[in-house]
Amino acid sequence: MSAVPAARAAPLRLGAGVGLRAPHYRDFLESRPAVGWIEVHSENYFGDGGYDRYVLERVRADYPLSLHGVGLGLGSVEGFDERHLAKLERLVDATEPVLVSEHLCWGAAAGQHFNDLLPLAYTPEALRLVAERVLRVQEALGRRILVENISTYLELGASEMGEGEFIAELVRRTGCGVLLDVNNLFVTEVNHGADAAATMRAIPAGSVEEIHLAGHLVTEHCLIDHHGDRVADPVWRLYDAALERFGPVPSLIEWDTDIPELGVLLAEAANARTRIEASRVRAA
Amino acid sequence: MSALLELQRAFGAALAQRGEAAPPASLFRGATSATVARLAVYRGNVYGNRAKALAAAYPIVRKIVGGDFFDALAREYARAYPAASGDLSEYGERLAEFVAAFPHTQDLPYLPDVAHMEWLAHRAYYAADRPAFDPTRLAGVPPARHAELRPVLAPGCALLESEWPLARIWTVHQDDFAGEIDVDLDAGPDRVLIHRPRWRAQVLALAPADYGLLASAFAGATLGCALAVASEGDPAFDPAAALARWVEAGVIVDLVEPGEDP
Repeated sequence: MSAVPAARAAPLRLGAGVGLRAPHYRDFLESRPAVGWIEVHSENYFGDGGYDRYVLERVRADYPLSLHGVGLGLGSVEGFDERHLAKLERLVDATEPVLVSEHLCWGAAAGQHFNDLLPLAYTPEALRLVAERVLRVQEALGRRILVENISTYLELGASEMGEGEFIAELVRRTGCGVLLDVNNLFVTEVNHGADAAATMRAIPAGSVEEIHLAGHLVTEHCLIDHHGDRVADPVWRLYDAALERFGPVPSLIEWDTDIPELGVLLAEAANARTRIEASRVRAA
Repeated sequence: MSALLELQRAFGAALAQRGEAAPPASLFRGATSATVARLAVYRGNVYGNRAKALAAAYPIVRKIVGGDFFDALAREYARAYPAASGDLSEYGERLAEFVAAFPHTQDLPYLPDVAHMEWLAHRAYYAADRPAFDPTRLAGVPPARHAELRPVLAPGCALLESEWPLARIWTVHQDDFAGEIDVDLDAGPDRVLIHRPRWRAQVLALAPADYGLLASAFAGATLGCALAVASEGDPAFDPAAALARWVEAGVIVDLVEPGEDP
């Protein structure tokens, strides 16, 4: 395939990071907490100026930055927004992030955006479309991106392949990397009986360049990926298995609902760091 | 139509449905009862994400109508004006229009103007940063020619005329407002400037002369013309003091040649 950008986007040594959210701006501006890197939701910084951009520029000077998009909708047949992509391009140019990622999902149809990460049917048609879009984004940004597996609550009847197989083929066709969200993997396993270990085995070992960790909510009908709690024990176990397969890749703690004081996130990041170190020792 | 498009439209239609209606049987795997419950999770996300974005843009409207009412209003707004962008900071632009026609807010006749004001403040929050006026810009221009220059207003600045006391409504609903929360609704009309002095948007009530000055500047008038408009209704108007005040406030950020791009 053409248009496969060279080289891994991020050094493996980034270690553990946390998602930067507005309630923690002050902590980051005033005390430079000890984390390896930070990640923000790209869309929150699409403005021309203002306080969020100011904070990002300040914090960016102290930490490697990752931009994580939540609104592009790589898999939307209708409503893929070139204007949205142009805003992302502008932000990437301004902040020079070490990683840029998007979700493997769709989010718009029939003239409206649903502002959520909606599950794709894993079909050859979807694969063609998403690959085309990933190539388009990589061309616009002039760099490779990472694509993240999402949490799903419903499975499309039309799916013809597994998530891991779909991702592996997407990587092969576009040269993109994978952002493996271990919590999402677990949520999907519980919700649909998909085998998380098998999904990981299907994803090429060299392709995972970032891992996400977050809390989920247990409900009567399914697990919900609410990013509002500590990482659950079985997710930590899955994380250890992921480190074993994919190496000590940069790992991030995400927290978006009922955001606690930063110390709670830092403790989670420290746990991730310990596990990364342990995996390095095992590998040596 | 492609199979994938058909599927996404069907999924979208299922998300838009009210209540507990079951989606087409072949769309999702699993038992219908589980599907209905899980579809409700997605519906909750879709409407919840939009409601959160709307609440972020309209904190005062939310305070006025109350949190529960606002959530219900947000749901109706989302149905009336579906999001057109994956960038939620753009969501909610037509709330003023919506509440003007919404049967359940007709007892709050000032609400549309409050919403309009908040949307302008929301846009100002994200507007480009612009350094204050640099007086050396005038170095090469003889004072006699200053009146021919055109004042440039800071990005995000906006003016609004209302029959309601908007500036007071703005002030008493700020989170850090410590005074008595009383608004004399008969105290209007108000002409206000929405702008962002540094990071936080602000709303200021304007005297008619200042309104005339800034409105003229918005319309692209020269400084001389804008100051003349300001003086018209107010013999006590001091043009030099007014200019200094709006430069100091970071509202007038440049004076440019009429043909020049600011």
